[in-house]
Amino acid sequence: MIGLWDTTGNEVVKALAAERRSAGGVASGLALTLVAVVEEKKVREAEAAATIAAAAHPCRLLIVVRSDLEGRSRLDAEIVVGGRLGPAEAVVMRMYGRLALHAESVVMPLLAPDVPVVTWWHQSPPDMIANDFLGVVADRRITDSALAPDPVAALRQRAADYAPGDTDLTWTRITLWRTLVAGAFDTTEERVTGATIVAPPNDPTAALMKGWLQSRLHIEPAWEPTDRAPRMKSVQLQCANGDCVTVTREEGTALFSRTGQEDRYMPLPKRPVGDELAEELRRLDPDQIYGEALGAMAGVTGLEQRPSMRVHVWKDPAQAARAGDETGAFAGPGGSAA
Amino acid sequence: MGNPLRTAQDRRLPRIPEPCALVIFGVTGDLSRKKLIPAVYDLANRGLLPPGFVVLGFARRDWGDGDFESLAYEAAKKGARTPWREDVWQRLASQFQFIPGSFDDDTAFDTLASTLDELRERNGIAGNAAFYFSIPPAAFPLVLNQLNRTGMADNAKSGGWRRVVVEKPFGNDLQTAMALNKLVDEVFTPQDVFRIDHYLGKETVQNILALRFANSLFEPVWNSKYVDSVQITMAEDVGIGTRAAFYDSAGAARDVLQNHLLQLLALVGMEEPTSFDPNEIRAEKLKVLKAISLPQNIAEGSVRGQYLQGWVAGERAVGYLEEKGVPAESTTETYVAVRLGIQNRRWAGVPFFVRVGKRMPRRVTEIAILFKRAPHLPFDPADVEMLGNNQLVIRVQPDEGVVLKFGSKVPGTTMEVRDIAMDFQYGEAFTESSPEAYERLVLDVLVGDRTLFPDAAEVEQSWRVIDPLEEAWAGTGPERYRAGEWGPRASDEMLAREGRAWRRA
Repeated sequence: MIGLWDTTGNEVVKALAAERRSAGGVASGLALTLVAVVEEKKVREAEAAATIAAAAHPCRLLIVVRSDLEGRSRLDAEIVVGGRLGPAEAVVMRMYGRLALHAESVVMPLLAPDVPVVTWWHQSPPDMIANDFLGVVADRRITDSALAPDPVAALRQRAADYAPGDTDLTWTRITLWRTLVAGAFDTTEERVTGATIVAPPNDPTAALMKGWLQSRLHIEPAWEPTDRAPRMKSVQLQCANGDCVTVTREEGTALFSRTGQEDRYMPLPKRPVGDELAEELRRLDPDQIYGEALGAMAGVTGLEQRPSMRVHVWKDPAQAARAGDETGAFAGPGGSAA
Repeated sequence: MGNPLRTAQDRRLPRIPEPCALVIFGVTGDLSRKKLIPAVYDLANRGLLPPGFVVLGFARRDWGDGDFESLAYEAAKKGARTPWREDVWQRLASQFQFIPGSFDDDTAFDTLASTLDELRERNGIAGNAAFYFSIPPAAFPLVLNQLNRTGMADNAKSGGWRRVVVEKPFGNDLQTAMALNKLVDEVFTPQDVFRIDHYLGKETVQNILALRFANSLFEPVWNSKYVDSVQITMAEDVGIGTRAAFYDSAGAARDVLQNHLLQLLALVGMEEPTSFDPNEIRAEKLKVLKAISLPQNIAEGSVRGQYLQGWVAGERAVGYLEEKGVPAESTTETYVAVRLGIQNRRWAGVPFFVRVGKRMPRRVTEIAILFKRAPHLPFDPADVEMLGNNQLVIRVQPDEGVVLKFGSKVPGTTMEVRDIAMDFQYGEAFTESSPEAYERLVLDVLVGDRTLFPDAAEVEQSWRVIDPLEEAWAGTGPERYRAGEWGPRASDEMLAREGRAWRRA
């Protein structure tokens, strides 16, 4: 491990090359570069998650922590190859002052050549991804609306801001749920006429579940709010012939019941963020099903037709604070280096 | 109409079998305890088993459900690949049922049949069941006849699918294999018979197809114009263990050459299938197997070996003849090397050297494609002394990966060229997360995906390669090699005669 204090981007590039050489052929096969945008108090959490994900997808991990935008511009970096972060080669960068607004100037030369770039925000997702160059440069963008103060509103904003290649970890969180629900209809031809989701009113996973059922089955699922469960509690589907299929979460298991059959328990564990991230990294192409579910959930159509490339829109938070919203933003790939 | 909640684009949703039962014959045996039960647990843990999934264990011992459960518990806990979760096991174990009985016991099989029928009501299983034969081949006819008698193998009668899983050996020569295939195919329908060759469940083996047919880089040189020879090696550091009775009657050629190695050869040599449909892949593999040619003089083009005592990995190893249960005058081979050819336009003239052995210096399975040397080298001969053949090596196990070896200039003022290796590793951590071969294959059986299972024609064709070898070897004794060596000297000489050498694996 090398620690560099008050350093420059060039020094970081050199130090990474030196570390790779001395570690031997540790990371000869890189599948992708993972850029993690993290707030200071979540750095450990992000590192742990990225370590799990890197075990399945050899990657270069670039963790970017931006803080103290008012202070002096300064860059601290820590370079770890084949050490505590598992098989990945990692650079943890802390950026202060105006530099934090130009994080890409440090990150761009560190991207591994000719492999996909994935940017993951392990913090409240940005309103507009186009305002963050680290999102613009990425082929895949992963947000986590659950970390926003109002998760469901954040998810709606994701629909407004959507471009193919975006996903949200709240969608990953319901893969197991969707597996159980979809499995129920492998052996029957019954048409589904209605659905009921029981979940807290601010649960983004329930919102996506509703959107998914809506987009696939062309029904209008009901959302029954509850405050007795911290997360989505159950999903029930009603069939044309009167049969019901219900999946109910009980701790780490799901109770699967279906009219005319005995109840069964299936595993429904809560996965660590690292596993969820690994699932995301498995596919680097746009997730159409997510796009459809997100669109249905937010009532926005035509998400798939949007261009998958974003153009950077410069937005200076300092200016925005001074002059209000309208004058603070103007377009242009390079923006102003104020 | 299909399931509206599933689409091809939704690649997050895993394949989950329809509600079904898995019946394991010989559930108390080695394979079942070491591989099958852990695989079932891992599948359950990954949430890949259908609701109401049932395991019915059939074996000879007079055990109750409780004893069986504790045996299964030990086995699953010891062999599990995924983290142990007691609640998952408890739920799975509640659906384990033990049915004691011997294979000639009619009542036991009637019990099995009625148990399967009860599941229709109790577990919502509409008659789907897979029968896993984890038993000696001698018992196959008995069990098959019982299944036939009770109608358990009948798709129409049971109202769902009935599949059978057979382990190697698939016979011990062409005749016995054909008889076995005929028997199994008669009792079950041919497309419901799954022959397990666990090598095909390995990620790296499946990757051969991806490497060859997903890239444009390798295909142009994948032929006799550029390939000098191919070496396929499967070395084990262990001896025969407790398998003396079976091994001594079979030998290395029947034990692994007939199945694993010829399958690897088929995957390396086959033409591109028109699609990844199981039938298309099998058709192409079968064509290669049919095109395999044996050496004209088998005595010269093949070597059999048997290990003597020696040292392997710092431990003393006894010789084959001193192994427990092996007759003192046994001439069974524990090593075999053979020069095969493939008679088609792509491969004419390219030798395929295939070797397999026990008590080798280390455990390794790999396929090495050795390319021809450049037709002209504009260098001083002294500068390219260290330059060998370009090689593409597919390492199947351990350290799964692909290595490309080519010449590169040594830094310095002279134009010295030396071999270097470009190494792609699935990586230590990468393989950890890839499923065990059995996990993958058991799931494939339950889902009904036949891609990774050789069919009867392939098995029979493989025996057509082995039988003439065995015939020619009859009455001859094997060469000796010390345990911990790369096989007998005669094997090195076989390659040296044509100016080649084995790659040190």
